[in-house]
Amino acid sequence: MKLERQRYILFYYIVEKDIIIDGKSIINLIWKNLFRYFGIKETSKIGLWLIELNLEERWGILRFAHTSKEIVITSLGMIRYLQNSRLSIYPIKTSGTIKKIKKILKTLQLENKLLFKI
Amino acid sequence: MGYFESRVPVDIEKYDNIIDRLKFLQKLDFKNVILEPINSIKKWPKKLIEKIRKGIALNVYFRINLKPKNIAELKQMIKKYNDFSHILSVESENKEIQIYCARDTRIDIISFSYPKITKTLTPGVLSLSKQYNSFIEFSFAPIFNENKYIQSKNIRIIYSALRMTLVKNANYFISGNFPSLSDYRSPRVLISICQTLLDMSLNNAKLALKDNPSKLIEKLNTKIDPKIIENGVKIIK
Repeated sequence: MKLERQRYILFYYIVEKDIIIDGKSIINLIWKNLFRYFGIKETSKIGLWLIELNLEERWGILRFAHTSKEIVITSLGMIRYLQNSRLSIYPIKTSGTIKKIKKILKTLQLENKLLFKI
Repeated sequence: MGYFESRVPVDIEKYDNIIDRLKFLQKLDFKNVILEPINSIKKWPKKLIEKIRKGIALNVYFRINLKPKNIAELKQMIKKYNDFSHILSVESENKEIQIYCARDTRIDIISFSYPKITKTLTPGVLSLSKQYNSFIEFSFAPIFNENKYIQSKNIRIIYSALRMTLVKNANYFISGNFPSLSDYRSPRVLISICQTLLDMSLNNAKLALKDNPSKLIEKLNTKIDPKIIENGVKIIK
């Protein structure tokens, strides 16, 4: 059996209305979606942590077990609502190290490619 | 060739909205987009096509979707599309229409985008579509239903139709067909959804989102070329 490794995912989110968002509401929403689509059996293997959340630039970094990558990406993609207003989460990049993810984030910020507008 | 968003409903009277939608899809990393008018038009206006293609650095293709009620209506409708240079699709619950469409070389896509229609898919249509080189279309939109029970039912319907398609080895692809801009997801997320919720392999998911739609475009190019009589037959001199 192989040792479990970590994966980090950089995501970006869009909210249609101005609603109060914090780390807790985002992580609770992700957990809720994970339970909805994959149940306790799969969810218990994920080891999900919200490492960072930037409310101004609307991005965040999640950490999870490498075996659950597809499950986490699906759950992020299936999110549509938070407090009855539209919220969409777009995974941008997955990496094995936080250093690499931050490097990617920096280049995206410099090139001004992080911003989405609806 | 990059990933395809094979069904983007647009209002042809709102040019700015079309461009906004295309720009958003470009940011999501789609390289190719197929637009479908929500207005009841028979053909895409040439000027608009040129304007859209000049307005964005994306490969934009155009399609018309027909919704006939019976065979007689379909035959009447399709007369106008003998020299149609864009993609033509037909959407119907009627099995006779589906079989007719699979045999007709003017029709490129038989669409099964809505669960009510997806339920009516039969192995016969799949075999014929493979034989006549037409494409079967499914859609992600029903998967994004907020109601858990309807969503679960829809996933099951698409799952079983996809199994049947994969067993029959037919040409298929999965389009978005999302009404709202905020429903669109990046190709990476759509591949994950295929792998987890629809239990497809990575190769099959890539076929559905990239390789098969590009085959459809290749087929379209041969349709336009007057020297090509049918698949594999070309006038050299």
